[in-house]
This record gives sequence, C-alpha cells and structure tokens, in this order.
Amino acid sequence: MDVIFRVRRFDGEKSYWSDFVIPAKKGMTVLEGLYYIKENYDGSLAFRASCRMGICGSCAVKINGRPVLACETQILHLNSTTIKIEPLDNFEVIKDLVTEFDGFFTKHEAVKPYLIRKEDRYSEPEELIQKPEQLYAYYKYSLCIKCGACYSVCPASSSRDDYLGPAAMTAAYRFIADSRDEGDGERMQIVCGDCGVWRCHFAAECSEVCPKKVEPAKAVQKLRFRSSIYMLKKFFIRW
Amino acid sequence: MRWLKWFEFRGKSLFHISYSLHRLTGIVLVIYLVMHLSYLTSIRMGREVYEYFTSITLTPAFLIFDILLVLAGVYHGVNGLRLILHEFGLGYELRRPLLYLCYLLTLVLWLYASYQMYLFVMGV
Repeated sequence: MDVIFRVRRFDGEKSYWSDFVIPAKKGMTVLEGLYYIKENYDGSLAFRASCRMGICGSCAVKINGRPVLACETQILHLNSTTIKIEPLDNFEVIKDLVTEFDGFFTKHEAVKPYLIRKEDRYSEPEELIQKPEQLYAYYKYSLCIKCGACYSVCPASSSRDDYLGPAAMTAAYRFIADSRDEGDGERMQIVCGDCGVWRCHFAAECSEVCPKKVEPAKAVQKLRFRSSIYMLKKFFIRW
Repeated sequence: MRWLKWFEFRGKSLFHISYSLHRLTGIVLVIYLVMHLSYLTSIRMGREVYEYFTSITLTPAFLIFDILLVLAGVYHGVNGLRLILHEFGLGYELRRPLLYLCYLLTLVLWLYASYQMYLFVMGV
C-alpha cells in the first residue's frame, strides 16, 4: 500500500512541505519510512534516530499532529493514506525534523538528576539497600527517555521559556522520592522557584503523550504537594 | 502573543481542550467583571442611568449573552474544582472519569440555570 509522507522541512531560512510516496508494508515504522526517503528520494532530509526500539528517545516527532516516537509508530496502524510529519513544538527547529535540545537538557541538568549523598565515601563504598516499596515509589519516573514529547505539548512551556517543563520536574521527583537520596533541600530550592512547579496548570497533556507512560503530570502534582510542605516548613523555621 | 499558544490544541486530547477552555472562560469572566463593575458604578451618574443600564440586561435579546456567561462561569467553577483536587495530588488515577464528570455537571447546572433565567426574563 502506498502512503504519502508529508514532511515539514526547514532549510535554515524557510519552512515548506515535501511529499514522498512510501511503499508501506505490514510492520513498517514511520522511522523506516523516513530512512526510505533518505535512501531513495532525498538524502538531505534531516531527522534524529538512534536505537530504533523506543529506548533512546531521539526520534520523537509530531505525526498527524501528535508527538510520538517514529520508531514505535507503524505506518499502517495510523489508518491514513497521508501522514503528516513535523518537528516537535516548543523546540527551535535546526533543520527539517531536527530540533534544538540544548535548553531542554540544560533544564534537566538544573534539577540535579543524580543521587546526592551528604557523605560520599568512595574509599569505603557502602551498599545502599532499598525495600521493594521504596523502589516502586520512584521506579515509574525513572523510565523517562528524555524524548521531549511531554515538553512539546506543555502549554506552560510554550508560553514561558524559563519554565522547567514536565520532563525536568519528573526527573527531580524521581530523585526526591528515592530513599537513597539526601539532596531534597538543594532540589526543592529549584523546583519551588519562579520557573518551577507553580507554573504547571495541569493540562495533563504530558501524561497523555508520554510514549513510556511515565505520567509526568502525576510527578509534578506530587512535587507540588511536597513543595507546599517544604515552603511552609521554611516559612515557620524562619519565624 | 505567546499566550495564543494556550489555544493550540490540534491533535491533542480532551485534557488540553479543557485547559484551553478554562483559560478562555477565565478571560470571559474578567471581561464580565469589568462590565459588571462599570454597570454598578453607573449609579454614581444617577438612579435613571443605572436603571437604564440594568434594564438592557433584562431583555429577551440579552438573554443569550447571559446564558453564555453562565456557561462560562459554571464551566470555570466546576473545572476549577477538578483542578484544585488534582493539584492537591488527589484523584490523579481518576482524572479521566473526573473530566467527564466535570463536563456532565457543567451541562446539567448550565441547563438548569438557563431554564431559571428564561423563566425570570420572560416573566413566566
């Protein structure tokens, strides 16, 4: 079955659409279709991809208006003879489907997405034991692949550049909820700030589009509750 | 004009549409508040002016605006309660049924309020 790929192109100056006919077969993914274009029609088509199995998060694009992983989306499952492929929203487009992720990763880095211990004894390393329930408290949130799908649909991120965004906040909650972590104070300072949790208005679209079902909206709301307690504690300690 | 992005919901779910409607109804209510306060302030220009202004709002032709205003107010209120619940970290797993319930409640309350307003304006 022939399917038309309508790809949103950008050459650094102007934006335009290019149409390509793809001979789609059962099981063929949109990413394979993009590779087909690159190999047979237009070698200049730019897109990101790496693992081809939904782990790296590189190939997130907007397909028929919805952000998804191109490698996990089968062409025939879309039930459409014309498939519109666009770069993710809320990101600056570099070329065709390739977007600038620097800001996204800077925000991710800002929430200190790593275990913080009060004392790191590398000379005498100790095992940090966790019970299964302590693991389940954060496990789901550790599955984030940083594809940027949540960030691209977030209305708060679209209207403010400095908002940390759902992915960064999920990463913050993932470590705050980790029983081995002792960096609550440092991280809370960041997420309680002007560009933190209070900018979220619960559109919950981030959870709807997450390809790994991480549920960033839930993480943000849980973080918001913790932030309230943290701010109240801080207020009363000061007085 | 980045705030216009609040209303971009192409390809997005009912949650995003609810968010956009919440913003839209919020703007409508702010405009209404300004108009309402202006009407009230008109009493400073005399009782006749005030009564003239309020009599306009009680005409059958104005009823359609009142009905739409009530829709905006009821939706904003009911959806606001849903959002407050979620923002306290409660009922996240029930977010889809709660969203449907929000629309159902809005519809029921709006129809009831519209009917009552219709009876009042028409003097039935």
